[in-house]
Formats: sequence, C-alpha cells, structure tokens
Amino acid sequence: MVKVVIDNVTKKFGDFTAVDSLSTTFEDGAVTCLLGPSGCGKTTLMRMIVGLETLTSGRILFGDKDMGGLPPRKRSVGMVFQYPVMYPTLSVEENIALPLNQDRSIDAAERRRRIDEVLDVLDMRDRRGAFIGELDAGSRQKVAVGRAVARRSDIVLFDEPTTNVEVQAKLALIRAFKLVTSRLKQTIIYVTHDQTEAMTLADHVALMRDGRIIQYDTPQHLYAVPETEFAGWFLGNPGMNFVPARRDGDGVTSALGGGVYTPERPLDDAAEIKIGVRPEHVRVSARPRPGAVAGRLKDMNVGIAGRSIIRIALEDFEIKAKVDGLDGVRPGDAVYVSADPEWTSVFANGTRVGAAMKESAEGRSTVDGA
Amino acid sequence: MPAVEFQSVTKTFGRDKAVDDLSLTVEPGRFTVLCGPPKSGKSTLFRLLVGLEKADGGRILADGVDITDLPPGGRNFGYVPQSFALYPHMTVFENIAYPLRLARAPSAEVAKRVERSAAMLSIGHLMKKTPDQLSGGEKQRVAVARGLLTNASVFVLDDPLVGLDYKLRERLMDDLKHLCEELQATFFYATADSLEALTMAQDLVVIDDGRVVEKDDVLDLYREPRFARSVELIGFPKANVWNGTARDGVVETGGLRFALPPDVPDGTVRFGLRPEDVRLDGAGEMGAKASVRIVEHLGSEIVVYLESEGMPMTAAFPSAHAALPEIDAEVRIAIDPERIMIFDAATGERIGRAQPHKEAVAHG
Repeated sequence: MVKVVIDNVTKKFGDFTAVDSLSTTFEDGAVTCLLGPSGCGKTTLMRMIVGLETLTSGRILFGDKDMGGLPPRKRSVGMVFQYPVMYPTLSVEENIALPLNQDRSIDAAERRRRIDEVLDVLDMRDRRGAFIGELDAGSRQKVAVGRAVARRSDIVLFDEPTTNVEVQAKLALIRAFKLVTSRLKQTIIYVTHDQTEAMTLADHVALMRDGRIIQYDTPQHLYAVPETEFAGWFLGNPGMNFVPARRDGDGVTSALGGGVYTPERPLDDAAEIKIGVRPEHVRVSARPRPGAVAGRLKDMNVGIAGRSIIRIALEDFEIKAKVDGLDGVRPGDAVYVSADPEWTSVFANGTRVGAAMKESAEGRSTVDGA
Repeated sequence: MPAVEFQSVTKTFGRDKAVDDLSLTVEPGRFTVLCGPPKSGKSTLFRLLVGLEKADGGRILADGVDITDLPPGGRNFGYVPQSFALYPHMTVFENIAYPLRLARAPSAEVAKRVERSAAMLSIGHLMKKTPDQLSGGEKQRVAVARGLLTNASVFVLDDPLVGLDYKLRERLMDDLKHLCEELQATFFYATADSLEALTMAQDLVVIDDGRVVEKDDVLDLYREPRFARSVELIGFPKANVWNGTARDGVVETGGLRFALPPDVPDGTVRFGLRPEDVRLDGAGEMGAKASVRIVEHLGSEIVVYLESEGMPMTAAFPSAHAALPEIDAEVRIAIDPERIMIFDAATGERIGRAQPHKEAVAHG
C-alpha cells in the first residue's frame, strides 16, 4: 500500500492550463474519486500519475519515491480505461491472467488462486471460459476491473469505466467494484463526472474545477457542507437551489423568507449574496403558513426512490423541491414554500460564508395540510 | 385531436420487427417521453414519424391528417436525431440556419429565426465559432437549436442528451422543459434512461420490443402501472420483480408470506415491489430477515441491496429517515403486503395487490 502525493503540479497544453498548481494526497488503501465536469483537468491529472503525460512543473510521489521520468511500466499502477483494450479471442480467464503471466514471482498455483478470487468477487465464475467478444459492454468492463486488480499493484486508476455501459450493467459493475475494492485494499483513484458514482464509491472526493481541487472531503460532508455554489450545484440529484438574498443589518434575508441568517464570516458590501438550499430541505405546503412564501406549482415528476420532484415558480425565480407527499395539488395551484433554516447555506460571490447548518441533524421536506 | 397518432404501424428490417403493430397517440402541448431499453424501437418510430423510414403497414397521422406517404419535406416536425452531425466548415450560425437555407428562406427571416432559436438554448455567443471550437454540450445545444428552428408545433427529440455529463444533462433537461412551456408546443422525446424519463415526462410511454407496453400520465404510470414490464423498466433504483408460486391462495417467497386476492388462481404469479416500499426501520407487520449486500449513499437517498433467503431485494429511502446499515449486516425488512403488485405470469398484466396473511412471518 502506498499513498500518492501530488506536489504543486501544473500541466499546460500551449496556452491552456489543464492542471493548475495542484497539491493533494491520495491516501493509501482508500478510494478517492476525482470528480468534476468535462475539461476540469481530472483526466490529465490521472494521466500524469500513470506516466502517460509529462508534468510542466511540480512532482508526483508514490510514498516517498519521486516518479519523475519513470515510464508507465516502471510504476506499479493498474489502470482501467473508458475503452479497455481487451483480447476478443481470449477467454475471460485468459484476459485476467495476462498481467499475472508476465510476473515471474507468481507461480501457477498462486495465479490460479488470484484468478478464482477475482472471478468470485465479480460473480463471473461461470463465465470464465467465455470469449470477450461474447460479452456485453458491462461484463467486458467487469473483466477489465478484474484484470487491473488481479495484479495487486499498489495503485489502481479508473478512468470513467462506466461511461459506455448502459444503466443496469453500470450498477452491476459498480457493485462489483465495491466488493473488489473493499477486499483488496489498494490505493484507488477513480475519475468520474458522475456525482452519484462518486457518492457511492468514494472514501474521499476531490471535486475539481478549472484545473484545481476546490474541495477535498468525505462524500457526505461534501454533500452537506459545500464550500462553493459550484459544489452545491454539482452534488445532488437535482442540485442545490440558489435563491436571491440581501444584507439586512449583520444578517441576510432571502426571497424565500425564513427570517434572518447570520453568516459566520463578515460580508463584503458589494458581494452578491444567495442562500443555497437542497431540494429535500424545501418545505412545501398546500396552505399558507407563517414564514412561507407563496408560489405556483409548475410541475410534478418522479425522482429517485419514487419521491416527487416539483418545480415551483416564485416571484422572479424558480426552485425545485423533493417531497414525499403533496397529493391533490395540481400544476398551476398555489403552494407555500420556505427553507429549512437548519439546512440552509449562505453564499457570497459563490463562496460559502456559513449558516445555521447542523450536519448530523435530521432534515427532510415535510408537507402540511395538503 | 392528438398531435400525432400511430395506427398499427409496423416496420421490419430483414427478419427483425423494429416496430410491431404499434398504436399510440401523442397529446398536443404535452411533454411526452418514450422510454425503453436500447433497440426497443424508439429511433425507428421517430424516423417513421419524420419520414426517414417508410412503414411496412399502418398509418401515421399528424393533427388528424394522414402523413404516412408524405416525403420528409412535406411533414412539419422539428427533429433532433440521435446521432446528429454538424458541418465542420460552417459556423454555428450557418449550421443552425442550414434547413432554412435549403428551403430558400429570405436572409432577414433566417437571421431572425436563428437568433431566436439560439437564444432559447443560450448559445447566442457561439454564433461565429466552428464546431471544432465547441465542447460536447455546446455541440448538442447547436443540434437542438437547429431542430427547434422550424415553425413546427411538434418537436421530436431522439435521446438528445445521451453521453453528456450528468450535470449538463440536468441543466439541458431544465432548458427543454422551459422551451416546451414557452413554445406551448408538443415535445416527443426518447430516452433509455428511466430516471431521465421520470424527470422530464408529463406523459410517459413505455416501449419494449417494438410495442407500446403502456402510456399514462407519469405519476399514474409510476404509482399504478398496469404491466410488470413497466415496473421492470421504469424507476430508479430498479424495482423488485420476481416470480413465485401460489398454493391455496398463499405465497411464500424470499422469507415472506402473504395472501393473494380471492379471484387469483394458484400457480405461477409475478410480483412487483418498488424499493421505497421495502422498509428497514422495523415498521410494518410482514417481515423477513435479510443480509445487506451493498449500500449506496446518493446524498438525499440511500439505496440498499439486500438478499433474503437467496432472493435479491432492493430498498431505498430518504437519507434523513434511517441510519446507514453496514455491509453484511443482518437486518429485518418490513413490507406492507398491499404494496406488492401482482401480475399474470403469462401476460404480465396486473391482476391485483397482495393481502396480509394471518401468519405474516414465514420463517423465524
């Protein structure tokens, strides 16, 4: 097991800075997701770790060993690509065995044992003789995962391995990944643009934007306490709502009512202030109640686990709420909306300046009087 | 009058029936989503509608007019194909304007309509760029803007967001919904992603093997599906669907015991149960022991994949409602029997809901 240290790394392609003075540590034996939108630099960073890309400046260390100048094959790194190179005329077992065959320190019995273990965890024992060409995209990726981990390299990198896999096969692949990584305890760096995948797989998430890591956190904390509007929007399904707000003495009042919030840090006079509230922390009722703002229900749809996702038009903006009820209300009807103050963040110029948020408190959208 | 109507439409490629005696109506002014697995016939149906394929049988009507034999140019649809192509040597403006140029529209008219269409997709600032200077999402917006350029009142969008970053898809989904409201047009939209379908749809059409399984208002279809196949295909996480055997009106399956409605005969029956109806908080009378296989924390929801007496079972609930179970932990699942939907094993049609049995726990 070995940690990966990124020390002030910059990568430029011509005038374009893909990775910008980035420093971080990927802990050993843990799964870290590099999460961010297309073009944020996550793939470039990973390619530098593997050795497929040179650094413009800075250092990358595995443990305390500088990887500078080492070619990919001299680094103990396994990798699973978006489009893995597989040998269609070889069987599942032979594909997984390939890297093991090249390692002379592994005898035939050990090789067999490791292949069995991987096939077992991937739930592919009965497909061991199948040719790669006969498998669907999801199963092929499972084999690629198996091949990368069977080597037992210190570090395994995954580059959006589920991108070209249809939804149900993707879930099977993710489950296989979780089982494999919880058993084998390698240092895993997993690149993805899919926040759900990151929330599910990662011990830590490094959220990237414009070549930098803007927040490095556990998935739950990143979700509960986003330090930027970007993080609040990027995590969540759908993402956080941002509501216009203004200064009121030392505090902040928003167009969503809910009284005065006192930010933890002093506010700049000119700052653009918004409050951020996740859809599941928007309180919606069919009848007026103190502190709630009147809006109009635009539509009602179905989200994860059958929860209703509604869009509500307020005076000059729109918000989304996740509710577990609200029957009998139809699009066009009036609804009354407020933000759960315990779960509301204040942002100034896109950066969180705090709020009365409690991380461990119970919070949910509630529905009264529908 | 329906905006679009398919009457017993069939399309065969060689031996493969891509669209099989399919009948469907699309209501005007609604956002209708066609959802089904890959190769279920979605693209073929759209290509038949816009005139890129010729039906082997049946009729297609638009606003009550038979368009089955009209050439594509004689049909008035805004169309965004699944694999769109932008002309690499043309600017974004010219790419969007292309259909109007073909129709020899006067240039003042072209400029006005391209501008309007580009503004709706927030790509006004990209007009002078060429496709190689655009990101994937920007290209997709250009293709959608081109599809929206016509004065059509029906827009046909064939999986326009496939392959895009999730968050970009979320933003474009919002944009498309706003467009549908703004234009007061009919949107007919295809996707293989059931969560995308549930998020977008007013009316939802489930398609499988070239046939419509069912069509309904999205909330009704989710809550009261009429076919087991709809339960399998629609919902995230995927619903629990399995077969069991009824003896003397009682079913024992996966550690659960429940009764069938009196009019359901013994034999093989099919069950459907939404993950949100599998509870881990101890409430509910009918229970079974299960072990936790995988726990997925999605932020505001938790999904738990379980196994009960060898039978896989998925549970999902808001994350604020319960503590996170540990992998390999033994838990008690509780189910309200009336949440179990019962389907005819042969036809897949719903025949009722399960009922409590006086000895609710089958084992232990």
